[in-house]
Amino acid sequence: MSLLDALPTPRLGWEGRRPNGVLLSLSVVMLAAFWLFDVVSMAPNRIVAGTGYGALEAFGWPGALLATLLLSAIGIFAWQPSVRHYRALLASLVILLALMPLGLMASSYLLIDPALPQARLGLGAAYWVVLFLLLLCLIEARLRLKLSRLLPTLLLTGVALIWWLCAALWLDNLALVQEFRARDEQFVRAIGQHITLVSIAVSISVIVGTLLAMLMRRYSRLQKVAFALLNFLQTIPSIALFGLLLGPLAWLAANVPFLAQLGVSGIGTAPALIALITYSLLPMVRNTYIALEEVSPATLEAAKGMGMRSGQRFWQVRLPLALPVLLEGVRITTVQAIGLTAVAALIGAGGLGTFIFQGLGQAAMDMVLLGALPILMLALVVDAGLGALAEALRPGGMQ
Amino acid sequence: MIELAHVSKRFGDEAAVDDISLHVPKGKFCALVGTSGCGKSTTLRMINRLIEHSEGDIILDGQAIEAYDPVKLRRRIGYVIQHTGLFPHWTVARNIGLVPRLLKWSAAEVQARVEELMNLLGLSEGEFGHKYPHQLSGGQAQRVGVARALAADPDILLMDEPFGALDPITREKLQDELARIQAKMHKTVVFVTHDMDEALKLADHLVVMRAGRIVQQGSPLALLQHPIDPFVESLLGGLERGLKQASLTRVKDHMTSMGQALPAQSRIPADFSLRQALSMMLRDHCDRLTVVDSHDVPVGELSLRRIIKEAQLDKGSVRE
Repeated sequence: MSLLDALPTPRLGWEGRRPNGVLLSLSVVMLAAFWLFDVVSMAPNRIVAGTGYGALEAFGWPGALLATLLLSAIGIFAWQPSVRHYRALLASLVILLALMPLGLMASSYLLIDPALPQARLGLGAAYWVVLFLLLLCLIEARLRLKLSRLLPTLLLTGVALIWWLCAALWLDNLALVQEFRARDEQFVRAIGQHITLVSIAVSISVIVGTLLAMLMRRYSRLQKVAFALLNFLQTIPSIALFGLLLGPLAWLAANVPFLAQLGVSGIGTAPALIALITYSLLPMVRNTYIALEEVSPATLEAAKGMGMRSGQRFWQVRLPLALPVLLEGVRITTVQAIGLTAVAALIGAGGLGTFIFQGLGQAAMDMVLLGALPILMLALVVDAGLGALAEALRPGGMQ
Repeated sequence: MIELAHVSKRFGDEAAVDDISLHVPKGKFCALVGTSGCGKSTTLRMINRLIEHSEGDIILDGQAIEAYDPVKLRRRIGYVIQHTGLFPHWTVARNIGLVPRLLKWSAAEVQARVEELMNLLGLSEGEFGHKYPHQLSGGQAQRVGVARALAADPDILLMDEPFGALDPITREKLQDELARIQAKMHKTVVFVTHDMDEALKLADHLVVMRAGRIVQQGSPLALLQHPIDPFVESLLGGLERGLKQASLTRVKDHMTSMGQALPAQSRIPADFSLRQALSMMLRDHCDRLTVVDSHDVPVGELSLRRIIKEAQLDKGSVRE
């Protein structure tokens, strides 16, 4: 049984009575990780490597017991699945997720000497494993309960609020929070840059991609050439592409004053945008082309036979019917661009990648996380948002 | 009125339609029948210029179709296809109102027309108007397809195997509805089908095609009585041909006034088909039936011997 197997099951039938292997094994793995690995680490300052602490030391025995009970509850509910048990399981998941920052507060109370204001709390392997597996459990429970994306998203938003509140008010000792405090203005600017770069790159590739896809439909010779070229571009490693762009752009900036005024130079935003657009074009063009071509010929023939002009056929029939697949392309492109933009920090385009590369340079993993976690969140939010939009635009609510 | 004179369609060297001539008078129902790939669909689609013909003349209401703007031409010709071709992202009401909207009718006119058509096809506006095509059964969807084709009240209706994908019971029901609508509206219809029974049931004029050519055309009864070659005969059902002919003939055309003998036990309404009468004779083991009118009052008598004698004289009357 896998997460994907869960998709086509329409109802909790006889097989719903069998233990849910996915949730059961996740529960066992989480319990094992919780007790075997370090839950948190504590370092007296930023330079010294931290010491790891297990569950008992980190949370105290009441906290460890509560966590163990809740993690076991997931396994117990998964042993005899029913709609009620899945709901209880979902509740346990949400409680666990909401309690996780409170556990950190307990650790900082138990482990950190108030006399050491520089002391910082890091998240241990067990913490990450449990967090990740809880999210997997959430997906599985959502699929089993046939919930729309909306409810888990709302639940997660609530959980995120609790996390944010804890981090902002009480978790001064958390290393991640300290890294953020040290450069909060820079952080906000980096997020802004990241989102701007992605938005510009995706908007341009949506426009260019759609135009290109439409041209390809008209001139079939162009189709082969363009796909071959885009496929080839996709194979160039991003760092190599930045290197390749450096020379020509620097030359252009030096010789064309107008471009230099626009801010074009060998490094910075211009090569970052060009690279992002280059990589975004393939998924965009491919999806747009397929979306427009996939529209049923019978429907289009009927539209023609009814006396719709070619413009009317495109705007009223072909495009609306292609829109869900087309949006799927925008979703893939955007998620990909959010990840790629991290690399753009290497050539000084800014964005959240800055923290990742600085952190790597200083061997400060918490700083790497400060860059990586928001990128992950951005990608998830965009993925969920555009996915929901594409679903809502399916013809007549068709599934 | 539709007139095809020596029309051909070539795709490269291949002739999909080869020198066909055909005349469909106003208000008549013409069925094109043949095996798949015989060019019947191509012929149909040349009439609304979805395919341009290579040679010959296609004349609509006295004017060659090349003289019309193809878009305007299509808006005045109703078009129904096999898999309905309904727009999946539009509601039933919006689908039906398509051509009137293209013709810039006012919203109120479109709305009124949609309701009228849905009533005509037995779909309640309240129940189906807001549904999407994927929520309909095959039969309901094809009713919507027919309603959409009739929306702007076109004189001409082209139907390309409209009932081909439906189950036999639904198909028969829709055939009956179409016959009822046609009796009321008198459209000029060109109907493509590979189902000979469907063609015999609906058509005033039957055209049998094979390999892009017309093999034989005429009234259904004429074809049944004198199929030109074994191909047409086999299409018409071979040995079943006699019964098919009987199903096109009404009891009242063969009945005689009441004889001296006692009235027969079994009764049959005068507007039933001869085929039903023969079936009743077989069932009831008799060779005479009493013919009654719609009020079950005896008006005449039908005798097997007489039917056979008349069939020999070849005097069956052509339906309608």
